[in-house]
Amino acid sequence: MKIKQGFILREVAGNYIVVAVGSAVKEFNGVINLNETGAFLWKRLQDGAEEEDLVQALLNEYDVEEELARKDVRSFIDKIQGAKLLN
Amino acid sequence: MHRYKIADVVFDAKLIYKYTPALCKNYEYSGEEQPVFTAIMTQDDIAYEKALAPEFPEAYLESLALFRKLCDYTLSEVDGIIFHSSAIMVDNEAYLFTAPSGTGKSTHARLWREMLGDRAVMINDDKPIIRYIDGDFYVYGTPWNGKHRLDTNARAKIKAICKIYQAKENTITKADSTEMLLTILNQTIRPTELDKMDKLLNIIDKMLTSVKLYSLGCNISREAAELSYNVMSKGEE
Repeated sequence: MKIKQGFILREVAGNYIVVAVGSAVKEFNGVINLNETGAFLWKRLQDGAEEEDLVQALLNEYDVEEELARKDVRSFIDKIQGAKLLN
Repeated sequence: MHRYKIADVVFDAKLIYKYTPALCKNYEYSGEEQPVFTAIMTQDDIAYEKALAPEFPEAYLESLALFRKLCDYTLSEVDGIIFHSSAIMVDNEAYLFTAPSGTGKSTHARLWREMLGDRAVMINDDKPIIRYIDGDFYVYGTPWNGKHRLDTNARAKIKAICKIYQAKENTITKADSTEMLLTILNQTIRPTELDKMDKLLNIIDKMLTSVKLYSLGCNISREAAELSYNVMSKGEE
């Protein structure tokens, strides 16, 4: 899985948002608000990662139960897949 | 060719229809400053606007196309953005009310004028331009002034930005940064080029961290205006 080209993550006044630029604007013209975990996962998906990689990355970075990490990753993927931001 | 000065930007415009010169009459410029760009309006510019708002006549769409060109320049060159809002000046300080269309920002600004009389001056009731200059934010009147035709060719330092929502009881609180960010992004023109998007987000970042932000739940009453004015003019949290 990899984030499509043209979608950028930015931090604005302590908030993480994703917007489209260039031709990606035709596909998605909204703004997505991410929490810190979401931004962390997004950065990994920019370079391409599988669901299991994301779970492991969360477990390495945060003090979190595996079950919760899996749930967070799944709901994050659902969210950005729903917005059609994944290749 | 017409020459205008809007948001402290002097520019020339070659226009097709007569609507825009009439609209921009109070912003005509004949001083010493040289224009920084020339907007030559074409049918392509108008067609672009028509695709976004097919219900409007072409003469009006031309004015929107000119506004778009001006905002493109201000964003790229002078840290200026459009912020769809009602901007009102009281004692030389500006207050900006923002809300989705039809929620009551113009109405709330009118309540302020009824309460404050001559002390309150409408800078713009629809599409003011905000500029970041030497660490401070200023709002400028523009001719694109909304259905009540309210604007003043003036600028004022921004004291506070207030998001309005309708409520039975009047309450005002410090606005949540995330909520205000998403509001501003929905009430401005979002460019498609990466470098301009970064400029926009950079300006909004500074705006959210340096201007006081409020969230006002209000009905249509004098009490609502008194509450919002009293809290915001004192800069209370």
